[in-house]
Amino acid sequence: MTEKGETVIALLGQPNSGKSTLFNALTGMKQHVGNWPGKTVEKKEGNFEHNGTHYLVADLPGTYSLSANSDEEMITRDYIASGKADVVCILADSSQLERSLYMLADYAGITVPCFLVLNMSDVAEEMGKRADAKGIEKKLGIPVVSFSAPDTKSYDKFYDALERAVRGKTAVDASGLFERYEKIDAYGTIKSLIPDNIIRGYSGAWLAAKAVEGDEPVIARIKAAVSDEDKKALDTAISSVDKGVVITGECKFGWIDELLSDTAQKGSSGVSLGRFDRLITHRIWGKPVVVLIVLLGLIASFIPALPLMGIGQLISNIPDPLSEALIGAGCPAFISALLCDVLIRSVSFIVQMLGFVFGVTLVFGMLEEIGVMARISYVFDNTMARFGLQGKSVMPFLISFGCTMGGAAGTRVIDNWGQKVLTIALAWAVPCGAAWAVIPMLSTVFFGAWMPVIIAVILIVMLLHMWLTAKIFGRSLVKAEDRYGMIMELPPYHRPKWGALLRYVFGRTKDTFLRALKVVLVVALAFWLLSYTSTGDITSSILYKVGHFIEPVTKLFGMGWQTFMAFIASSLGKEGALGVLSTIFTGSGTISVGSVVGGAAAENINELLVANVPKPEALALIFAMTFNMPCIVALAATYQETHSVKWTARIALYYTAVALILAGIAYRIGLLIW
Amino acid sequence: MSLSELKKDSTGIITSLRGDRRFMSRITSIGLTPGCTVTVIKNEKNRPLLVYSRDTMIALNRSECEMIEVKGGTAK
Repeated sequence: MTEKGETVIALLGQPNSGKSTLFNALTGMKQHVGNWPGKTVEKKEGNFEHNGTHYLVADLPGTYSLSANSDEEMITRDYIASGKADVVCILADSSQLERSLYMLADYAGITVPCFLVLNMSDVAEEMGKRADAKGIEKKLGIPVVSFSAPDTKSYDKFYDALERAVRGKTAVDASGLFERYEKIDAYGTIKSLIPDNIIRGYSGAWLAAKAVEGDEPVIARIKAAVSDEDKKALDTAISSVDKGVVITGECKFGWIDELLSDTAQKGSSGVSLGRFDRLITHRIWGKPVVVLIVLLGLIASFIPALPLMGIGQLISNIPDPLSEALIGAGCPAFISALLCDVLIRSVSFIVQMLGFVFGVTLVFGMLEEIGVMARISYVFDNTMARFGLQGKSVMPFLISFGCTMGGAAGTRVIDNWGQKVLTIALAWAVPCGAAWAVIPMLSTVFFGAWMPVIIAVILIVMLLHMWLTAKIFGRSLVKAEDRYGMIMELPPYHRPKWGALLRYVFGRTKDTFLRALKVVLVVALAFWLLSYTSTGDITSSILYKVGHFIEPVTKLFGMGWQTFMAFIASSLGKEGALGVLSTIFTGSGTISVGSVVGGAAAENINELLVANVPKPEALALIFAMTFNMPCIVALAATYQETHSVKWTARIALYYTAVALILAGIAYRIGLLIW
Repeated sequence: MSLSELKKDSTGIITSLRGDRRFMSRITSIGLTPGCTVTVIKNEKNRPLLVYSRDTMIALNRSECEMIEVKGGTAK
């Protein structure tokens, strides 16, 4: 029970048990996402109301068991022990009942009330599998409900089971499991040594089984509570067990088999691979097919994105006439510029990008629900493991060729926070659509036929950059002991639940919009103030003065004040760099956020550039812009996905520094050539 | 013999698991325990294995499979 009197439900289930679908369906747009205090693990909570009772749903991290092998598992255990949850909802996948009941078996012995949801009953039925929820309920002594997220009738049964569990404080009757444990030699000895209630909510039987498994935190807690003599006896008993986790595992599955022997019907479906699975597991075709799917997904993302992009475009038409009208009506130029150039253009910029975030979240969220993401993960897992990542990370990387913000949004399907942050950090190195619009053009202007060589070098540098970034950030984001070879399931295909998915996507898009708006407004305002001049002459702006003052330093990286300013502008939006250079070289107008994000370049920009920028400096600028922070909206999206100011700032500073170093190297090489 | 030596489409029974506690905990939680039957769906050189066990399609790296001993079934 929370302070506000909400009943707390904790969702517990293995990955692919349909936990997030249930979470989204229950809470809709009422979700808050953050991190568990002091941990690199995402914390999701949401609210709903039923029959006048307010509920708080805590989505516990997806784990395979309740051992102490990872932060996720420790958080889950500690949360249950904290007494915050009034009831734990354990999920199992009906289509893989035997295996997915392992979580229930691992939970058995914990006294916090619980109930069991046999999820995805629709998929199971299609396979000809049937489970008798009532029969299982009778054996387990907890409410058990057959559930299918797309079926609206399922929810009444769910709420009923929930209410019964809360009212009856139901705990799993696992005497059958404990009888099996009793047959393990050391178990009886260990159990007799454990005093009562050493960890709230965890029974002696559960603790003894974990001690048999060699679970260090549990053993330490027991030792802290017993006499020296008992400690020795405990050590002897524990060290007499070999492969405890395998032995208790056999007990757990033995108990599950017994539980299901007369309550579940196995399907007759064969075990052959479907056509699509044969294709993606193919030695040669697997990877091309996955890349093709992601690219098609990317294109499909534009369909829901287009209306929002159109609205963003329309908004971008407002400032010019509005500013004229305002000035005509006697409004001070400063206020008009602030409103038109900062506020409206920022909103227009974000809304255009947001369409893409909406599309990516929807399309790839759907692919995740169907089960396609698990296949993508399978195909690229071993490649991505070299970066310390899951196979799914390939998807954000590919999306980032289009838009880094979309790539960041795509990392939502990665269930490990550290890997998610690392994926975003690496995705920043991928030149986005805006870079592809500017860089080949600049390269052609300056280097003519050498343009393809420069593009090739950029792609090679990108790979090296990603490799280096993975080395630098990987160590703290993805711990060495969390990196193991592929052990993953390929879940059966599921039908997506459109309503819940759409509500979730709208909710997340709204959050991204608000967060991006805050970041963009602050940065745009700061940039605008720095570049504001009352005369229209750029040399009287603060930006010019600072740029000029630090020119000796920026020269080290090959850039004079003009190109350095273009570099700074490119961290807000790549297209902006050209607008800034136009303004400077034509000597007209102010550098505004409008020119930065709108990218309005002078018609004769090509001649201007060639006349004003020497080749080595141009090469430096090209590298500095390509590998700079992608844009402010990508920065905001990174903050939105990582929920970490620290990591967002770290990544941004790192990219700025690396871009400058690369520019310096490019400049020196340029000097040697020309 | 180890799981990776089983031929495609043949079914064996797991006899033992090796490796550190984390590995054994992970492999147990995905349902591969001694006594359970495993059918090899795909076993190609230098590629992860696909096996079917306890109603679940599981992908495993070859190095992981070498830690899993099986009996019965047809060797490659």
